[in-house]
Amino acid sequence: MLARRSLARAAAATVGPSAPTQARNMATLREIELRLKSVRNIEKITKSMKMIASTKLSKAQRAMQAGKAYGLANSEVFANVPSDKPTPNKLFVVISSDKGLCGGIHSSVSKATRRALANAPDSPLVSLPAEDATADPSSPIMVIGDKSKGQLMRNYGENLQLTFNQIGRDIPTFADAAAVADMIVQSGVKYDSIVVVYNKFVSAISYESAVYEVKGEEALRESNAFKVYENEDNATRDLAEFSLANALFAALVEGHACEQSARRNAMDNASKNASDMIGTLQMQYNRGRQAAITNELVDIITGASAL
Amino acid sequence: MSSLRLISSVVRRATTFSIARRGYADAVSDKLKLSLALPHKSIFTSQDVVQVNIPAESGDMGILSNHVPSIEAIRPGVVEVIESNAGSQKFFVSGGFATVHPNNKLTINVVEGAPLEDFSIEAIRSNLADALKVAAGSGSEAEKMEARVEADVYEALQHALAK
Repeated sequence: MLARRSLARAAAATVGPSAPTQARNMATLREIELRLKSVRNIEKITKSMKMIASTKLSKAQRAMQAGKAYGLANSEVFANVPSDKPTPNKLFVVISSDKGLCGGIHSSVSKATRRALANAPDSPLVSLPAEDATADPSSPIMVIGDKSKGQLMRNYGENLQLTFNQIGRDIPTFADAAAVADMIVQSGVKYDSIVVVYNKFVSAISYESAVYEVKGEEALRESNAFKVYENEDNATRDLAEFSLANALFAALVEGHACEQSARRNAMDNASKNASDMIGTLQMQYNRGRQAAITNELVDIITGASAL
Repeated sequence: MSSLRLISSVVRRATTFSIARRGYADAVSDKLKLSLALPHKSIFTSQDVVQVNIPAESGDMGILSNHVPSIEAIRPGVVEVIESNAGSQKFFVSGGFATVHPNNKLTINVVEGAPLEDFSIEAIRSNLADALKVAAGSGSEAEKMEARVEADVYEALQHALAK
């Protein structure tokens, strides 16, 4: 009894491979149909995400223009005040956001931060005056946005001092920037200067990582170039804090515009790929269907002629 | 005769040259490049103006071209921009920093600001009353401070409109 059953199973096993070929043909048709359906759904989603990103992009770009002018007016002081001695202890503030599906936006700033900390030859700090161009590898880092936080956590986990999220869902406001600046000042982290790492908007289809340096109160006081300016002594601290908020605001707004444009492009590419895939799948499906029909016809005709 | 003509042409060339140079120098020396920027809007971007009056923490001050480089904190008040000798524009700003740079540039960064004629005196009055109520109320110390600052801004606004 036992032997017979195992024999039957063995027989079934030998029959097995030939039967599924017939079945697989039908199954692939069904499978293709299912895949086609899911790819169509994906295309719909990416298309609507693209539309949303496009409308948000035009708003973000308008906000960026004003924010950039504000940042430029703010950075004028720092452009005129180079440091007299090296300032390696920098606080890096990395500007990204919480949401993905937007190309390499987050890794662009994370990589720039890593290059700066490693003092690599293509570090973004080389654009700064010579005394400011090096960074201590153990410099503190603060991150706005969960995505870059995850990326920097791996290698520079112990450098991370503060992280922020929920900023940059909509167009950043000055209140957001002021709140972040306030937290940074209250955190008690010591620094010579703050380096804001953000994505710079080059055109609607490209962006690049860039840095924006804001000097701390001490660094400003010690700089000889700063002494050219006539000012009240107690205003220096206020100036440093206000400039930090302004720089953060300009960087946040520009980063936001970059993110929207990157998302638009990513979704545009995804929709294109999806429609390519739909084309090939549809072709495959039609061919398979045609083949099945032809096969059936052959069966019927041979059956009929055999009679 | 020909030498005379040569001399006269040289003289002519010399005069035109000096006139052109003077014109250029004029344009640089008596105008100030003003950038007045808000976070969401820039009112002036490197525009040539004659004079700017700002409400600095240390007292109101007027800035003409070639002012000594200085950094001034701005208290809530009216920034008056005189673009030409004809007229001036007044903006109420909430506070920020004005910086005169060595290259004859003036940058003013303020958090909020609007033309003075856009404000409504009734709204100011009611908001001022609200702020004073909170400042005198039983909130936390930080809340009261905030309300106090708010009230200061409204008082300055009221004062500016009354003028």
